[in-house]
Amino acid sequence: MIVDQLLIKLTEVFAQDIYTAGAENANELYLEVNPEKILEISSYIHLELGYPLILMFANDEQSLKTGYAIYYVFADRTEGLLLIIKTLVDSGKMEILSLSKNIPSASLYEREINDLFGIVPVGHPEAKRLVFHGNWPDGEYPLRKEFDVRHKPVFAKKETDFTKVGGEGVFEVPVGPVHAGIIEPGHFRFSVAGEPIINLEAQLYYVHKGIEKLCEGQSIERCLYVSERISGDETFANSLAYCQAIEKIARVRIPDRAQHTRVVFAELERLTSHLGDLAGICLDAAYGFATFQFRMMRGWAYGAADELCGMRFLRSVNKLGGVRKDFAAGKEAKLREQLQKIRSELEDTVNIIKANSLFIDRVENTGILETKIASDLNAVGPGGRASGLRFDVRKSFPYEVYNQLEFNIPEHHNGDINCRMNTKIEECFESISLMLQALETMPDGNVLEAINSVEPYRFAFGLTEAPRGENIHWVMTGENNTIYRYKIRTPSFCNWPALCHAVKGNIVPDFPLINKSFNLSYAGNDL
Amino acid sequence: MFNTIKKIIKYPRLTQDYPYKSIDSSLFLGRTEINPAECNMCGECVSRCPSQAIVMDKTSNNIGINYDECVFCTLCEEICPTGAAKTTNRFELAEKGKSMLRSNTLIIDENNMTDASHEIICSQLEVNIKKIFGRSLYIREVDSGSCNGCDYEINGLNNPFNDIERLGISFVASPRHADMLLVTGTATRNMQLALAKTYNATPDPKLVVAVGACACSGGIFRDTYATSNGIDSIVPVDVYIPGCPPRPQAIIYGILKALDRTK
Ligand code: SF4
Ligand code: SF4
Repeated sequence: MIVDQLLIKLTEVFAQDIYTAGAENANELYLEVNPEKILEISSYIHLELGYPLILMFANDEQSLKTGYAIYYVFADRTEGLLLIIKTLVDSGKMEILSLSKNIPSASLYEREINDLFGIVPVGHPEAKRLVFHGNWPDGEYPLRKEFDVRHKPVFAKKETDFTKVGGEGVFEVPVGPVHAGIIEPGHFRFSVAGEPIINLEAQLYYVHKGIEKLCEGQSIERCLYVSERISGDETFANSLAYCQAIEKIARVRIPDRAQHTRVVFAELERLTSHLGDLAGICLDAAYGFATFQFRMMRGWAYGAADELCGMRFLRSVNKLGGVRKDFAAGKEAKLREQLQKIRSELEDTVNIIKANSLFIDRVENTGILETKIASDLNAVGPGGRASGLRFDVRKSFPYEVYNQLEFNIPEHHNGDINCRMNTKIEECFESISLMLQALETMPDGNVLEAINSVEPYRFAFGLTEAPRGENIHWVMTGENNTIYRYKIRTPSFCNWPALCHAVKGNIVPDFPLINKSFNLSYAGNDL
Repeated sequence: MFNTIKKIIKYPRLTQDYPYKSIDSSLFLGRTEINPAECNMCGECVSRCPSQAIVMDKTSNNIGINYDECVFCTLCEEICPTGAAKTTNRFELAEKGKSMLRSNTLIIDENNMTDASHEIICSQLEVNIKKIFGRSLYIREVDSGSCNGCDYEINGLNNPFNDIERLGISFVASPRHADMLLVTGTATRNMQLALAKTYNATPDPKLVVAVGACACSGGIFRDTYATSNGIDSIVPVDVYIPGCPPRPQAIIYGILKALDRTK
């Protein structure tokens, strides 16, 4: 078993510093280690073993007599293994050693923990606020258990400080939070010299709603509905990740028919979302014909969703332990027909746009995200795959019945808009094929293995491939079937810094286009 | 070029006739209704409703749903032991006052303030305004903290199926050009200032429409440290469109209702 081998290897190197070790849910290895040695241990895992840091979060475990704990989550994406390093925080000091200098992707997580828990990352190169804007008062940490979820602290009169770029002819262009289009709010600060962008700083968290705090102490059932509302067009991917975690905690294997049904919905969501992104790219390149072609296909995909469940956003489909009802029954033929229609129209449209050299000229070599930067920042999903990081949760951590179905991960390397667009186009075709396969092989049977109660203080990860990429949820249950801690990390969280890098050196008018090629979620990032 | 033209001719018209003709809503998940006559007052739905939208009064044997808070999840239908809760396909739900979306009059009292926004503008003026806006309305959309679901549905108004411009309604890039603000989201604390500024930048007379459960009442995100309970705590609202998210036709209905163009 690979978990055991990994443990042996780590014990050989860090025998004295590993306090406890335990495997959970088949592929999660939890190690509690000496907090003084976290730099050495994490660097070893990251550099020697080559596991990326995919998540880092804190948990207020004072009522469990352990105080505050930090979890560092590393992933072995070839073996499908999660290595979780846990350290305890000295409650007198409330400090941790910052990993950011060795592992760049730790930077945002450490700032997040600092804002929400008041645990200071010592040695962080840029320890400013992330979640809260300048006006949030000092000393208020919402994710500490003693903070009341309804408490609204009085805002201080302070502004956010932005990075200043100096030099002759450099000026700043502030944009947002309310934008010209029908999109979510966020503030962008461009530092430009003439046309090219030298630096972009994104001030997000305008739509921060306190979702993680909101879920604490709530019933596992209610949190399912909250998880559906984390990010509008990733409803299914998020609720699926949440269900997965609870199903692991309850040790329930959901019926085969439900697994197939979930694949159909998950892929339908991806198809809808990608078609929307493609329409967006064409719109921002002023290519009206293609925009409306993609919007038409997207409308058809929504039609298929309406047909299946009466809800365009696939809400109220997932249930803990399966799906709400047998959505596919009797609708297979109609769905198949609809999918084939989308596929043939998509083929035609793609041929037309690829032959349009004016359009291709605009997207090629624009907004390049280099492979090195992408991997340092742990860029995920189509954004990462376009830069050569060929990882997909459906392959690395197969869930539902993905390991029985055939599909390819697109391969691209250039990391420009064109590659991201092509990745999405190819994934649309794969999604359609996956849906057809899942319908084909769907066995009879029931679709729900109801979960009514869960043991307290158990925890598990749920991992899904959302349309935007790797999506991780970590759930710890509390007493009476409630949630003790719910950590959500959507793909957008990883990809926002990647976007800020990809725009550097490009001209300001190309920003909307580059932005659309990533199409990140603000709500999913801000929570 | 030839292929492009061929495609354009292939689908001459996709646009639906709504609102001129009604739309086939048989597949839609609309609002859930609870019939007090069939209800045995067990309170199961009241305690499990994820949005705490159900109000029950045991003494008068009355039960109902506050549609400004309901997130249309259908859970109450699913768990009701007597079958009193039933999901319908009614989706045209927009109302001019919050009280019209509420089942329990007791709770409305404190919200009476917001309903008064109509009285501030004298009624004759209102008629005139609507006449002016009647067939040419410019909308500015503001996301004040949504999950993006409502915004996608508003985006859907511009797709070939709904094509809202055929009704003389279009979206503009600046609030200074707008006659109506279409607001989604719970007015998170970080967006309150931006929302107020956008409102002030919109020239008078103006209309404000709240789209979705979040904007109507805070929806499922009510009462956290970072949100507020609906946009009417920041700006006066003329029409509330319930739903999570309301589908594009429901939004069209709400916009037309604000203009008194509904039948
Ligand atoms: S549909 Fe859902 S949100 Fe609405 S009243 Fe029923 S249980 Fe509550
Ligand atoms: S009402 Fe529902 S769909 Fe609309 S923003 Fe709120 S949670 Fe999202």
